[in-house]
Amino acid sequence: MAWVTWRQHGSQALAAFGLLLALVVAAILTHLPIASAFDHDSLSACVPPAARAGCDIIVPHFENQFARIVTGMRVMVVLPVLAGLFVGAPLVARELEFGTYRFAWTQGVSRGRWLLSKTALLAAGTVLAAGAASLVVMWWRSPFDTLEGRIGPSGFDLEGVVVPAYALFALALGVLAGLVFRRTVAAMTATLVAFGATRFLVSDFVRPHFLAPLHKVISAMASSGVPGDWVLSNTLVDGGGRQITAAREELAVLHAQQAGIDPHTYILTLGWRRVISYQPAGRFWTFQLLEAGLFAALAVALVLASLWLVRRRPA
Amino acid sequence: MIEFHLDPQSGVATYLQIVRQVKDALRLGTLDVGDQLPTVREVVADLAVNPNTVAKAYRELEHEGLVVARQGRGTFIAGTLAHASVEHHAELREAFERWLTAALRAGLDEESIRALVSTTLRESLARRVA
Amino acid sequence: MSPPPLVAHGLGKRFRRDWALRDLTLTIPKGAIVGLAGPNAAGKSTLLSLAAGLLAPSEGSISVLGDDPLRTPEVLAEIGYVAQGAPLYRSFRVADTIEYARRTNSRWDREIAVELLTRIDSRTKVGALSAGERARLALALALGKRPRLILLDEPFASLDPLACRELLQQLMDGVAELGATVVVASHVVADIQRVCDHIVLLSGGCVRLEGDVEELLESHRLLTGPRRPLGSIRGVREVVRERYSGRQLTLLAVTDGPIVDPSWTVEPVSLEELLLAYMAPERLPVVRKMERVQLRWHG
Repeated sequence: MAWVTWRQHGSQALAAFGLLLALVVAAILTHLPIASAFDHDSLSACVPPAARAGCDIIVPHFENQFARIVTGMRVMVVLPVLAGLFVGAPLVARELEFGTYRFAWTQGVSRGRWLLSKTALLAAGTVLAAGAASLVVMWWRSPFDTLEGRIGPSGFDLEGVVVPAYALFALALGVLAGLVFRRTVAAMTATLVAFGATRFLVSDFVRPHFLAPLHKVISAMASSGVPGDWVLSNTLVDGGGRQITAAREELAVLHAQQAGIDPHTYILTLGWRRVISYQPAGRFWTFQLLEAGLFAALAVALVLASLWLVRRRPA
Repeated sequence: MIEFHLDPQSGVATYLQIVRQVKDALRLGTLDVGDQLPTVREVVADLAVNPNTVAKAYRELEHEGLVVARQGRGTFIAGTLAHASVEHHAELREAFERWLTAALRAGLDEESIRALVSTTLRESLARRVA
Repeated sequence: MSPPPLVAHGLGKRFRRDWALRDLTLTIPKGAIVGLAGPNAAGKSTLLSLAAGLLAPSEGSISVLGDDPLRTPEVLAEIGYVAQGAPLYRSFRVADTIEYARRTNSRWDREIAVELLTRIDSRTKVGALSAGERARLALALALGKRPRLILLDEPFASLDPLACRELLQQLMDGVAELGATVVVASHVVADIQRVCDHIVLLSGGCVRLEGDVEELLESHRLLTGPRRPLGSIRGVREVVRERYSGRQLTLLAVTDGPIVDPSWTVEPVSLEELLLAYMAPERLPVVRKMERVQLRWHG
């Protein structure tokens, strides 16, 4: 089946390689100004926990300077789903659509073995490609990661072991969708929707709770916390611990203005504090492994479902 | 080597057609003792007929003692059919062609000639038997 | 005693709400060349797909060489199956397709396969082949496995007469070499009549007629005579079809003895005529258990 898989998916492998190559070239080209600005402004001295005077000005300046390109780099988040759309979905759907399954599934290889061999080989290729892409992105983002941390949502899903895990999940999703919907376009649509929904649900509702968040209480007027941590919530509370609504906060500011005193100082005298709930930067790899594990487990479950389905109800 | 042909419209079973063609060849002298018949595969690849049919024809011929199957070598003619010696065929053919010329000159068409030939043959043979 | 190449028992297949096959019971004898005849949508393709393990039965069972093709995929190595239209990967070259078959079948005989592919350049893409060449390629792949059962679904559709003849020649040659059992589905009787020694007539999802071709032709006769009310006729076991035209009456009948009544002209029946008569809608079968009649027809 190795020859068969290579013969049928070789062009996909080449396309993936081409894409990676383009990514590497783009990364190198766009990294040059970033690296030179980083050195020029000696930003290494501003990497937490070090903090010298003036960091609070030059760091935001640096980030603003490259904000657009960093946001542009976020487009890499679609890379994993491509494995599902262009490799996974057509795998079975194409055979069913064109009728070639009547040839492929009546040779000496059983349907189950055919599916498992192909999926396993393609999964290996997917992991390699996604892993390589992840490494490139991690290298590219390292100046920003050192300054802002990577556990936050802007960098977490572009780096590390989650990227291959997402790609595996997308691939498995595509294969099952192809088997269920039997048409390539329908399978691709279903894969896209299911992938997007799952990623959204996990990143917004599950990931924050992988480990119980830490809390700290700081002065109401201090900035939100240590850069590099992932701030989950940031609320003002009064002396009794009750959360202060926006209306109440506005009222306090109004009082202060009427009384002619500085609103900030007034709020401090009220005894109000800031409660931050956050995930510390040091948990990055733990979270990576947990999320990667979750998506990998989902991928395995989907593959098992596909095997069951193809054996029971071939066509 | 004899080449078979099949007439699917004739209503005669395929295997019988093959048997008849072998017998005709024996009568005409185009096949002689020791000659090899085409293998089943050769016949089948040429005529596109069921191999069982060819095998059945060859078995029938073997049963009548006309052919013998040699394991691994093929099927060979082993017997003859009583027939007038072949040299007479040439003179008889010539005489027949002269008669045909006369019949055509007399204005008979093909159908009439066939009718005349078959009825005369039938009656003549019947007279000789009686 | 090896198991028969194909046995169906009460086999049924439903798609959504329509039954493509219903209560089908059939045994194919070993070594036979079976013509699976019947009009379009009779269930021929469905039956072959079930035999090749591409569909799951809705009810009943089917076994090929003693095994369930769905649950025992190993038996697929013994089945050479060519689906309708000879589906193959169009972007593959001929050589690639042969390599594909070689690598996915444990038993592969290159000689048999290549014999069929004379005059086809192995570098040609499958999509560029003519219908006849593609049919030959598909047959070559099926025969190269050295199967014990060959299933062909409408192999002659969309082939010109010359290509038909070539395909049939090569099929028969392969069968002579392998000694395989063959089931050929075709809605054109003339294509298969030349080679079949056994016929199964499907119509509306069930078997209307089944048996050895020679026996069937021997036991049916066409009787022509003046139009009259019919009583029982000596020598006729059952009338399959009656036709009237003017003052003449024609019967297609199952005979069990000589017809001595001189008012009838008795003629043999062609296979095509016989199949058409049994396909007629008036002969819609009642689903009941038939006792084993010598001819094995279902009526």
